[in-house]
Amino acid sequence: MAAAASAAAAAGAIDMADKDVKIGAALAAATCSLLGVAPSVSAAAEAESKWDIDSAFLYYGESDGRVKDFSVSSHATRDFGDQRKLGLDLSVDSLTGASPNGAIASDGAQTFTSPSGRETYTTPAGEIPLDDTFLDTRFALAGNWSQPLARLYTVNAGLGFSSEYDYQHIGTNFGLTRDFNQRNTTLSAALAYAQDTIKPVGGLPLPLAQMPDAVDDDDDDDMSPANRGDASDTKNVLDVLLGFTQVLGRHTILRVNFSYSDASGYLTDPYKILSVVDPVTGELIGRTPAPGESGPTGVYRFESRPDSRRKEGVYAEMRHDFSGKVLQVGYRYSTDDWEVDSHTLESRLRLPFGGSNYLEPHVRYYQQTAASFYRYSLANTAPLPEFASADARLADMSAATVGLKFGHVTAGGNEWNARLEFYRQMAEAPNEFLIGSQPGNTQMPDFDAVILQFGYRFKL
Amino acid sequence: MGGPCEVLAEIADEVTARKVVEAVAACAWRIELKFSRYRPDNIVARINASAGAPVEVDEETANLLDFAALIHRLSDGMFDITSGVLRRAWTFDGNDRIPTSAEIDALLPLVGWSKVQWASPVLTLRPGMQIDFGGIGKEYAVDQSIKLAALASDAAVLVNFGGDLAITRARDGNRPWRVGIEGIDASDPRASTLVDLAAGALATSGDTYRYVESERGRLSHILDPRNGRPVSGAPRSVTVAAPTCTNAGMLTTLAMLRGSEAETFLESEGVRHWVQRILPVARA
Repeated sequence: MAAAASAAAAAGAIDMADKDVKIGAALAAATCSLLGVAPSVSAAAEAESKWDIDSAFLYYGESDGRVKDFSVSSHATRDFGDQRKLGLDLSVDSLTGASPNGAIASDGAQTFTSPSGRETYTTPAGEIPLDDTFLDTRFALAGNWSQPLARLYTVNAGLGFSSEYDYQHIGTNFGLTRDFNQRNTTLSAALAYAQDTIKPVGGLPLPLAQMPDAVDDDDDDDMSPANRGDASDTKNVLDVLLGFTQVLGRHTILRVNFSYSDASGYLTDPYKILSVVDPVTGELIGRTPAPGESGPTGVYRFESRPDSRRKEGVYAEMRHDFSGKVLQVGYRYSTDDWEVDSHTLESRLRLPFGGSNYLEPHVRYYQQTAASFYRYSLANTAPLPEFASADARLADMSAATVGLKFGHVTAGGNEWNARLEFYRQMAEAPNEFLIGSQPGNTQMPDFDAVILQFGYRFKL
Repeated sequence: MGGPCEVLAEIADEVTARKVVEAVAACAWRIELKFSRYRPDNIVARINASAGAPVEVDEETANLLDFAALIHRLSDGMFDITSGVLRRAWTFDGNDRIPTSAEIDALLPLVGWSKVQWASPVLTLRPGMQIDFGGIGKEYAVDQSIKLAALASDAAVLVNFGGDLAITRARDGNRPWRVGIEGIDASDPRASTLVDLAAGALATSGDTYRYVESERGRLSHILDPRNGRPVSGAPRSVTVAAPTCTNAGMLTTLAMLRGSEAETFLESEGVRHWVQRILPVARA
């Protein structure tokens, strides 16, 4: 029986072989029609794209003609296979506009010597003084290499550089990550070290020294502005980051970071000043420039900050995928030895729609306490403190951001996106920082800003 | 899917990786639930319980039936999704029970695609006939899954359902995926063959675990539906590389059905293939 059956089967096979009909093409066509795919993976589609480039144009504009920033940036990644990746960042920023110099508003017009020490500018009565000589172009370049070290380890190292006319930055970073628990847990450690050089126009102001008259360019060419020290100084920053990422179930990821930052050196803002006020009225002390000179019409002192700052922070972020809609909620707490404690709450929700688009609402709230040496102004009778700054960024401050991003993925896999955000910053000077009759009469340099960004991500 | 299912992917971030794996898992489960002949509540169960009544099927099932009909024609009736009832006589679990000729012949009236009426979307079987997508389902699931994986991410992804596998693209750096074809002697890892795959799919058909022992040796589980008997001289294992897993799977099945002519068939089709045999081809 079995022999007969085999013979029949073999005969059938031979019959078919004799026909020598190739069924490959018909089979391939039938398969494609079944699966609804193009007949084969074309060589073109297989062509290796070398670079993945994320480029963006960003506009940031503050209200009342303050700072405007136009920035063009590009982040390029090249994949060399085996998870070896090179990342390159390039950005150019152009900053224009005016920025608060730290002085308080006054009933009369106020004249200031500009940061160069060679000119003056005047603020109308009742307005927060803004230094409108603010203008800068910043150029930044960074490179980063990452690769696996052993089976579960990845190592990365990078170098960064940026330059402005009065500020140079060079930094290096090194990081190591290790996966555990079938790659459901990742621990990472990173170390970054930066050295910055600050070279303000006109030289470094002496701490808490009084703003002098402007140096007359015409007859004092070689003369430096008064109350200035060295031409430049440096600042070193060491950052340590320990990270923990855990996959929590099928749709959720938790990330927790601990950060430590130690900055030392010149941490003062050389362009920020404080108003010196009467201890009773809280009003600016008037001043008259020397005969024949132009200069400040009030008493102002350059600010002074400690030469070290140690910050610790913890950041926790949870991401959850609600069947395609991804919610991201993050919270950061940071504290430092300047007594600036801050809380940040941030959330994004990514909503895909129409197959190739997404909308992403974004909200962020930030709140901080004032630095121990923050002052709204200085009383002229009190002994000078060792450190003082009227920079609103060191005040009791809160900021809120709301925004929306729209992204579209093209048929070729490229993505373009647009983001519009509104930012509001509100600072406060609690009574402990106020002098004489200032309480109830303060005016903080609050502002709104709008952020508009266009991005395009493509392969090259 | 009658075997371990795995997804390999070159993805750094976990969100994307999850997305890919979940898309594949959802697809595999969907197809398993819809087309498995072991489920009491799906379209296959409804067709097999129809007892001669016409059954209207959904579009996806209709596409699979069209495909099965076409392969039946291309293979001169050797590939037949109605051949499953022959398993009532043949139990390929390694035993030595060989059915009698009468047992087999009694089943043959219930076997043969030419005996069904298929006018898409209505299928009418003769009473007692059954269909089984076992010969297509797994490869089809691999292809549908890899499509979803490619939609979810542009990363390099490999989907492997019990040895039938497909990739979205070459690995990062344009390196091929290296896939091992298990040797027919599974206890000897050196016997496995390494295959570089830069695009497309691989499918394997074999009798490593499914056979009947007879005095003539091991009989393959590949049955010729035209006579209800095992194909003679079938290789122990056939692996084919093709643009899609369904395509590759059909070629391995058709090669197996050619028995001792498997290699000849694959050569003439001009596809990359790997055929494993233990004994010299026994000619009838």
